[in-house]
Amino acid sequence: MPATTLAATERPDLFVVRRRRSGVLGFLIGNPRITIGGGMLALVVLMAICAPLLATHDPLSLAPWLRARFPSAEHWFGTDMLGRDIYSRVIYGARVSLTVGISVAVLTSVVGLFIGLIAGYLRWADGILMRVMDGLMAIPSILLAVALMALTRGSMVNVIIAVTIADIPRMCRLVRGVVLSAREQPYVEAAVATGTRTHVIIRRHILPNTLAPMIVQATYICASAMIVEAILSFIGAGTPPTTPSWGNIMAEGRALWQIKPFIVFFPAVFLSVTVLAVNLLGDGLRDLLDPRAATRT
Amino acid sequence: MLRYMVRRILATIPVMVVVAIFVFSLLYFAPGDPAAIIAGDQATAEDIALIRESLGLDRPFLVRFGEWSWNILNGDLGTSIFTGLPITHLIAQRIEPTLSLTVLTLVFAILVAVPLGVLAAWKAGTWVDSAVMIFAVLGFSVPIFVVGYILAWLMALQLGWLPVQGYRSIGDGLWPWFRSLILPSISLGCVYIALIARITRSTVVEVLRQDYIRTARAKGLAQMPTLFIHGLRNAAVPIVTVIGIGFAMLISGTVVTESVFALPGLGRLTIDAILHRDYPVIQALVLIFSFAYVLVNLAVDLAYTLFDPRIRY
Repeated sequence: MPATTLAATERPDLFVVRRRRSGVLGFLIGNPRITIGGGMLALVVLMAICAPLLATHDPLSLAPWLRARFPSAEHWFGTDMLGRDIYSRVIYGARVSLTVGISVAVLTSVVGLFIGLIAGYLRWADGILMRVMDGLMAIPSILLAVALMALTRGSMVNVIIAVTIADIPRMCRLVRGVVLSAREQPYVEAAVATGTRTHVIIRRHILPNTLAPMIVQATYICASAMIVEAILSFIGAGTPPTTPSWGNIMAEGRALWQIKPFIVFFPAVFLSVTVLAVNLLGDGLRDLLDPRAATRT
Repeated sequence: MLRYMVRRILATIPVMVVVAIFVFSLLYFAPGDPAAIIAGDQATAEDIALIRESLGLDRPFLVRFGEWSWNILNGDLGTSIFTGLPITHLIAQRIEPTLSLTVLTLVFAILVAVPLGVLAAWKAGTWVDSAVMIFAVLGFSVPIFVVGYILAWLMALQLGWLPVQGYRSIGDGLWPWFRSLILPSISLGCVYIALIARITRSTVVEVLRQDYIRTARAKGLAQMPTLFIHGLRNAAVPIVTVIGIGFAMLISGTVVTESVFALPGLGRLTIDAILHRDYPVIQALVLIFSFAYVLVNLAVDLAYTLFDPRIRY
């Protein structure tokens, strides 16, 4: 711990019963869920970035004479039905999951923010937009994604687009809700009364309010997008089968899972841990950024 | 009350229309020409044009949408490209496992999740609360098929207590039917339990802070009646709401669960339809699942007064 933070906490303060640690370390200790979730996620991100260094084999190279081998010193997680090294495939699989999760979270935020602001600020557009969103929300998100994927070829970009479309209504409703409550606030009324232009009001007074709940929602969307990607690949409607994604590895292991359960097991563990990390981070951020929502949900 | 019910039922119509437009566009913009598929490889361009005309595929979007909607209102969902059978027939064949799985999971999840949430709220701040909440986070994070494979591996392959895969019709007897659905229901129920337990905990915690709970305790009412009669009853509306919203997860989950446990239901039909690019079937299934979701949430809305007599419309 740096000396400066020590000095800050060592100050005798009679009125503070429970001392709060300050500095980065204090923050990390005070928010264990952010620390654990963020830490785990950082490891997965690192793993994805360093995939070429960590992998022991080419994740795509076939070795039919080494089909479905149990884990060994050579193949740490064993090999799949085509003799590919599962360990290397799982390491590279992190790239797919993270790319899909983060892209969907960012795209959903951008589009959801845009539509949500319009719906929350323009009365006449609100009715139409929200009816469309209600309709989209009525279609269970995996089915919506599956239906969209059926229209296109399986590719990562198409998966990202399909999952984003399925998730936009959620973000959109959130933003709209925040905008509707913010525009009733006295400071917005005051800004309107003093003749502030609409785009300035939106930028200065409305947007900052949407930020915290949006970040929290985006984290949850990131987690669910990674699960949906795995499910899509698992049922054969996701990324192309050659792509080393966790869902694809599990899909390949499906036929053999009763005798060779490890093929399904390893990607399943990595997927679950990554999603858990993102969910923990989301819970931590929610408690930190939006204390009122923490008691509600 | 009656006026509210009518208004609420009418409000579902625009939602259903949006769903229908979306689902119809799906087929309309689907790649591949249905006329060419029906005509086969040997057909000439004139043949295809003829078939297209006879099927009415050359008419504008709105006309075809109107006709399609009219057919659906009359119970005609179209014909499967792959099997050539009427889709209503395919769905009737496959609906039993899905319906059984959904209803069983719904009942099971509510029976587990609500007491779990109440328990966590009652013991808020203790290790019991933490344990339930850790379970809830795990439930959200571990995908259905992972839970399914772990359960099947442990309970069926290692211990041999339950069948690994497959479905037994309710006509074969209640017990075999139930046994074949235990593992799928638990796998499918995990996320749902996590969701319901979480909302139950937070609402009951809120309710337990109210004055009337303090009064109930002060007058010496036992712990259980306080929790379940005063606490849970007043927390019912958000819980019921989330059960309705979570129904979408349940529907999405059946697709995966049926695949893991080889149940011949609508979810399995969906996957087969995707693999065969059988657009009319995909269309019909998305439509049916969405309508089921809308209807469940309509029922939830109408049920509010049952749980909270203060709500008057």
